[in-house]
Amino acid sequence: MSEVATVQAAAPVTPRRTVRVDPTSLFGAGLLVALLVVNLATNPSSFAPANLAATFGLATPIILAAFAVTPSLLVGNGGIDLSVGPVMGLVDVIIVHDLIGRAGISDPVVVVVVALATGLAVGLVNGLLIAYVRIEPIVASLGTYLACSGVALSLLSSPGGSVPNWLGELAGGASVVTVLAALAVWWLFTRRPAYTQLMATAGDERAAFTSGIDTARIRVLAYVLGGLLAGIGGLALAAVLGSADPTVGPNYTLTGIAAAAFGGVSLAGGRGGILRALVGAVAIFLLQNLLTYLNVSPFLLDVAYGAVLVAAVAVNGQIGELLARRRRP
Amino acid sequence: MSAHLQRLRRAPALPISIALLIVIYAVGVAEIDGFGGQSTIRAVLLLSSFLGLAAAGQTLVILIGGIDLSIPFVVGAANVAVAQLAGKGMSFVLAIVIVLAAAGLFGALNALISVRCRVHPLLITLGSGTAIVGLVQWWTKGLPVGGAPNWLSSLVSIGANTGPVPVAPVVVIWLVLAILFVFLLRRTVFGRKAYALGSAPEAAALALIRPVRIWIAAFAISAVLAAIAGILQLGFTGSADATVGSPYLFLSVGAVVIGGTAIGGGTGGYTGTAIGALTLTLLTTVFAGLGLGDALQQTVLGLAIIVLVGAYGRGAHVRTRI
Repeated sequence: MSEVATVQAAAPVTPRRTVRVDPTSLFGAGLLVALLVVNLATNPSSFAPANLAATFGLATPIILAAFAVTPSLLVGNGGIDLSVGPVMGLVDVIIVHDLIGRAGISDPVVVVVVALATGLAVGLVNGLLIAYVRIEPIVASLGTYLACSGVALSLLSSPGGSVPNWLGELAGGASVVTVLAALAVWWLFTRRPAYTQLMATAGDERAAFTSGIDTARIRVLAYVLGGLLAGIGGLALAAVLGSADPTVGPNYTLTGIAAAAFGGVSLAGGRGGILRALVGAVAIFLLQNLLTYLNVSPFLLDVAYGAVLVAAVAVNGQIGELLARRRRP
Repeated sequence: MSAHLQRLRRAPALPISIALLIVIYAVGVAEIDGFGGQSTIRAVLLLSSFLGLAAAGQTLVILIGGIDLSIPFVVGAANVAVAQLAGKGMSFVLAIVIVLAAAGLFGALNALISVRCRVHPLLITLGSGTAIVGLVQWWTKGLPVGGAPNWLSSLVSIGANTGPVPVAPVVVIWLVLAILFVFLLRRTVFGRKAYALGSAPEAAALALIRPVRIWIAAFAISAVLAAIAGILQLGFTGSADATVGSPYLFLSVGAVVIGGTAIGGGTGGYTGTAIGALTLTLLTTVFAGLGLGDALQQTVLGLAIIVLVGAYGRGAHVRTRI
């Protein structure tokens, strides 16, 4: 007995309190810092206090698109939401063209509610198709991608309309409101048990299911959350565009996914969060900002954008792989 | 061949998608004056052959568990690069050889990066595709100098015949390539390995199937076929255009999934994709004939993909996978 006691005393179980930084987030963060430095050095005027709000405003649709794709990527099992961009475009068309333009309703509460409800509705459709009809996420959300961009185009065939002052404000100093609102939604979500269940589902859906988690419900929740964030993104897009435009939305899907991956959100699920999406989105915005400012040929801009995307994703993948190898005995 | 493999390769989608093809055709004949004649069939077959070629590689890549979003970019880049090389005085055949070789290398590189770094090819192919089109556009300064020689245009002209057969030669080329492709998937060691890798990567590795080789081959084939589609498009439109491939970004995936090949790999085949390509092209033609706009067309296409895949491409419930 005393022997056991000595052994126990010799090896006290004290949890080590060290802050562990997951290296897969470092590449995106490093890139962000580097891009920020280069941007500040070459083009300080767009980051001057007077212009900072407008610059940030321009970045908000990319940031919110990256937020909106994150929950579906996080839930894993092939999770991806291609419909994010078209939803943002559809929200823009519905609120600016139909609600404000045609019906003449520009009350902020109604507009915001309609925008969020549109996003939620598409997210719910995505979630039900994926979790209960069990269509592969990429196929189901491709279907809603085409349907949403088609509906936006049939509501309005060419850009037009204008936004009320309060909505225009969201492109300037008030732009931070949309991002903060999205962050608040996410923060509330991470406080809920559903967040843990989502991460468990991503880690191993079968194990999660066997331990009593309703994985189908969790997957629906991920797409609904993504839809809600896309709805907020639609508001930001409407503010930045200052008009209804059915053609620009779809571009935000792939930019958003690229941004999330840039920041270190794993496409395989289970790794990352909305802060990484934020880092990646700002980095992508800074890259575009820099290349546009340097006035390089738009073709070279594509080359640089594509090459950096491949490099970032490959390096993040490589780091993740090294980590996994080190953890394995 | 074992019964299990046969079951995997049987496309459950075929009866449904063939029925759909007939229904769309019947609607076209009933609703549109002059639809359904020889000229309609010629046009639909011609347009389907471009999509069918571009989606062939996509089928193979999806079968092994990947996805290739670089197809539209490779179509555009090959389209412009061949015109530019020929415009600078190179013989057209040599230009084609160079472009196809470059496309093969490009595809192999995509696969190598995806497998080595263990990242999903979705973003790799998207990024590399954006870069390759940018590179070609930068080289030509956006204004490629050359055009298509007459022999290429005659391959893809709607009125052209192939000997006694009243369809353009490109349709015959598509048919031959389709037969070869189905043979490759069903009757060769490579095809068998591709299905094995797609349905169970871990088991395939234990069976000494080397994923890197299969992935490199699949992505290279996909890029080469996309480049062929791009070069043929040059003959069809007459002048080079880097955006000529953009509809194929999602149409190639659409044709594959409507044809019953499952995303994630392991089940399906090219016969389904070929019918999927015909279905999508016919749908577009009928919509155009009915005077319905692009917008409605896109909406219906999206719903069609969901309904069709919901009908025959459903996944297994998690409780059956424990």
